[in-house]
Amino acid sequence: MRQTLRVTGEVLLTVGVVTLLFVCYLVWGSGMRAASAQRAFASELNTEWAQASKGNPGLTATPGLTATHPALPERFTVATGQPFAFIRIPSFGQNWRFALIEGTALAQLNVSPGHVPGTQWPGQIGNFAVAGHRVTSGNPFWSLPSLKPGDLVDVQTELNDYTYRVIGQQMVAPDDVNVLDPVPGHPGQQPTRRLITLITCDPAWTGTHRVIVTGVLVSAEERLCTAGSGSGCPGAPTPGPPR
Amino acid sequence: MYGWIWQRLPGSTYARAAAMTAMAIVVAAALWFFVFPWAASHLPIDGTAFSG
Repeated sequence: MRQTLRVTGEVLLTVGVVTLLFVCYLVWGSGMRAASAQRAFASELNTEWAQASKGNPGLTATPGLTATHPALPERFTVATGQPFAFIRIPSFGQNWRFALIEGTALAQLNVSPGHVPGTQWPGQIGNFAVAGHRVTSGNPFWSLPSLKPGDLVDVQTELNDYTYRVIGQQMVAPDDVNVLDPVPGHPGQQPTRRLITLITCDPAWTGTHRVIVTGVLVSAEERLCTAGSGSGCPGAPTPGPPR
Repeated sequence: MYGWIWQRLPGSTYARAAAMTAMAIVVAAALWFFVFPWAASHLPIDGTAFSG
């Protein structure tokens, strides 16, 4: 009897300690994993883009140009789990930047916000949908519900800079996949606008609802990488991992 | 459980304590680097993908 009680007590204490450790992992460990994955994605994109522009001198910007540069036509063929762009949301802070990868299974979301397969790509007519974790894995979309109409979302691809302006936010059920339609909420309709849809869960730590932030493309420009231009350009130093 | 392990460890009290600590660290590392990542990807902690 004494022996049984003692072993039971030890087992329960062990379970408690392991559970606490697991919570620590979710809060810090998963973020560390995601940050190192983000560093790898960033250097992969920078290398890839640098090589691509070496191979195509036409893409190299002419220094001193100040006029607006129309976006270049772009095609996306990205394997699941591979990065294809950077996303920046200035109202989340200067250092907030994540790579975007293809796919939104947990394997992808645990390292990066992902493009919802089957939805449009950056700049295209229709709906470019991106999902990311609200908590864990670096909490990429922690502040998503704070976005207000007018806030900007920048998406930087190999060739272009796309800027979207937030036009609205809503809360939907997890099975409400209509928000992913080319015309959100109207399956089958022919799209005319170029939208972005950012998705995360709400409330944090649960899977009961989704926060949906919608934006519309307001500018698309060829990405110019003259000397001294911002990070993310080929050869530019990779900024530290987002926190 | 822990008493059972303790009794089977050789050496002085300090050596036993060191061995127990080392084992705890190994177990914690295995949990942190292998078990927890696996568990996190199987728990609906932060379901972001659409289930539709």
